[in-house]
Amino acid sequence: MSEIAAKAPTKAPTKAAAKPARRRLLASRLVPYLLLQALIAIVTILGLRQLQPSDPEDFALSDFSAREDGLIRPVTLPHFTSSRYSLADPPFYTGAFTFPGGDAASGWSVYLPRFSNAVEVAVNGVVVLDSRRDANANRPDRNTPQIAAIPASLLREGGNEITVRLFVWGPLKGFLDTVYVGPDVALRPAYETRTLLFVTLPVVFSAWQAILAVILAIMWLMRRHEPVYGVLAAAMVLGVVQAFAPPPVPPAATSRLAAVLLASAPIESALIVVFGVLFFGWRWPRYGTLLFVPGIVVFVVGLIGGPPLPRILFLVLGIPTVGLCLVLMACITATAVLRRQDAASFTIGCAVTIVLTCWIQDMLTVLEIVSNDRIFVSRLSYSAMLVAIGAGLTWRFARALNQVDSFAGQLVTRVREAEERLKASFAREEERARAAALANERTRLMRDLHDGLGGQLVSIVALSERGHEGAMITDAARAALKDLRLVIDSMDDIGGDLMLALGSWRERTTAQLRPHDITLDWRVATPQGVPLHPELRPWHVIQIVRILDEAVTNAVKHAQARRIAVTIDTFDAGRGPYGVISVTDDGHGFAPAGNGEAARNGQTARGLRNMKSRAARCGAVLDLSSDSSGTRVRLQLPQRFPDSDMAAG
Amino acid sequence: MTEQGETGDMITILLVEDDAPTCWRLQDALAKAGYEVRSAGTLGEARAALAGGAPRVLLTDLRLPDGHGIELIREMRQRFPDTEIMVISALGDEESVISAITVGATGYLLKDAFPTDIATTVRDLVAGHSPISASIARFIVRRTQGAAQNSAEPPPGPALNTARLTPREIDILWGIAKGFSYAEIASHLGLSKQTVPGHIKNIYRKLEVHTRSEAVFEAVQQGLIKL
Repeated sequence: MSEIAAKAPTKAPTKAAAKPARRRLLASRLVPYLLLQALIAIVTILGLRQLQPSDPEDFALSDFSAREDGLIRPVTLPHFTSSRYSLADPPFYTGAFTFPGGDAASGWSVYLPRFSNAVEVAVNGVVVLDSRRDANANRPDRNTPQIAAIPASLLREGGNEITVRLFVWGPLKGFLDTVYVGPDVALRPAYETRTLLFVTLPVVFSAWQAILAVILAIMWLMRRHEPVYGVLAAAMVLGVVQAFAPPPVPPAATSRLAAVLLASAPIESALIVVFGVLFFGWRWPRYGTLLFVPGIVVFVVGLIGGPPLPRILFLVLGIPTVGLCLVLMACITATAVLRRQDAASFTIGCAVTIVLTCWIQDMLTVLEIVSNDRIFVSRLSYSAMLVAIGAGLTWRFARALNQVDSFAGQLVTRVREAEERLKASFAREEERARAAALANERTRLMRDLHDGLGGQLVSIVALSERGHEGAMITDAARAALKDLRLVIDSMDDIGGDLMLALGSWRERTTAQLRPHDITLDWRVATPQGVPLHPELRPWHVIQIVRILDEAVTNAVKHAQARRIAVTIDTFDAGRGPYGVISVTDDGHGFAPAGNGEAARNGQTARGLRNMKSRAARCGAVLDLSSDSSGTRVRLQLPQRFPDSDMAAG
Repeated sequence: MTEQGETGDMITILLVEDDAPTCWRLQDALAKAGYEVRSAGTLGEARAALAGGAPRVLLTDLRLPDGHGIELIREMRQRFPDTEIMVISALGDEESVISAITVGATGYLLKDAFPTDIATTVRDLVAGHSPISASIARFIVRRTQGAAQNSAEPPPGPALNTARLTPREIDILWGIAKGFSYAEIASHLGLSKQTVPGHIKNIYRKLEVHTRSEAVFEAVQQGLIKL
């Protein structure tokens, strides 16, 4: 999928001449985007204001006397204490509230909406709440509220004393928000609202993050060439561990676990930057690995050093790293939005803006520039950003599936189109080939008729006109008929089996020789006769049969043979089988062409020349030997008959 | 089959041929061989001649002035099943001969055959030997091959049912098509030479389609007609 994402940037115009236009285009995209992000930031801030849970002010206790470092002074809650690293002698707040006593039936509670880092609350000297036992309540990044019922027996009608010991472990300052004491019915809804927002919601987000981590890890395992999924899965796993592992209360701490939890935030944010870079199809720059250094430093120091040091490091190193990463991420997404203008980069960009706004808000809170009762929202918004990223990935995945679908659809359509074009062109080609074959066949037929029948009919006419005796005319007419039959016969599809043509020829020749009292010996040496020739065409057959006819005619007319033997055999000289047809007679022979006597027998000489040229035209070799004891015509067929007439014209 | 007509005086032949010289020629050849020949020039004349009784042999041309010889052959097969029928053909082309065979003819006689051959052919026919030429045998075996390869598309030429031919009969046809004599075929196939003509007679019978409805049935059986 990253390939698909990577394609978009290359579409940007690269020509130098296009530069101003491109700049204008980028500006026209950047300005609306930045305006939108500013709007989002404002909406976020306003939203956070709105989010501020309202507490039941009727039961607020704000005036306390605080004893800190031996000094007692009156304070108004919310109150910040100095940062400290020791749990011994914590700041001690003493306040008073009035219990009307009338409706003792409804229980009273003490409700602390926000404190940092832990509290121990006592009413009239009896401890009713110790938040150090609640793992979630100890996390400074969660705004966990606490509520505790005050046993009725402790309450005195009239003035009561409430004391709060605030345990602080640096480097952040201690904080105690207004304390509420009143009927449980009045306090409980406010507590529930805060619990929902700051305890349950993070758990829900973390659970979802865990599921997403599993899905992304599976995706990465199946598609190793796309590390983007693996990076995001790692970030999410870290987040989940950070969210669910209970942070230890400092004195009892295994400092290593604390180190891991502290290091998680900078490493997570660095991973998110890596994800951003990979997601938008860019190469991860080598120096980019430096982003991981702060997290690793925090981690290593946490492993080696004592408890306060990693936390100080986290504050000065980890938190700025998170901010830096967020700013980087914002730049990356802004660039991606400019180049790609797609929904995924847009969604992630907005999410990053929200997280960044929340982070800035948190920083301002920590630095006490903004007073908002010290509610940290970075973690929460970060989880929300992961949800957005998850949505973005799912969107991209679905889009990729759609692309695959439409690609497959297009492929099917294209293949069908190509098939149809092919079919059409094949049909055209076939039609053309058929027309060509028909024309060829017509030419051949004309030539064959001209060679045989035409000439014979002309000689019949000539003989009749000169008043010749019937016998010569009969001969000529019979020859014409024979030739007509040969031409018709050769049109038949014999499937490359020359033997089928030779069978008909034997029949005709036997009938022709019977009146002359000449025996035709027919010997086929092998069961199948001559080899099959799939390339055999009618014109080959005609040439071969005419050669054989000529040989027989010579034997009858000029050699006065009594016996004609036809031998059909197959030989194989190692280069494939070939057929040989021999016509042998017992006549008195004739002198082969070239001899002086040949002139006497001009017709025979012409016949021989004809035979040779016919044989050459279909690639066959004709051997002729003749002496007084007989004539032998040996026709050696080619292994493959030529496609075109070798001596056409 | 009882009248092994060596003497030939009791064998009657009906010759239907519209071309007078050809008719004379054939009639002369047959009469010289001792057959009793009646000749007709048209279908009508032939039907009239049949009123006088069935001939032993019918020799007919296919293209006649008042109709087609095929009709005459079909009528003949129905009215006089014992009459041997042959087609007279100028070229012996399978187009005409095969269509005659499917209505009951057994073989053909070339119009220009030598007189002795004409007489011999008729004598063999009466003796129960149905001659078959190499080109006709070739056409039939090519058709059996074609039917085996693609039955979807009817091959060109006259319809011919080769489905009932046995492999042995097809082997014999192959031998004839390749020009082997009966003796050679018999030795190749391990048969007695005397049984070959019987096989050929069977082939003719199997190729004959007896009635129109049977022809339709056969065509459906072979997939030539799709219902």
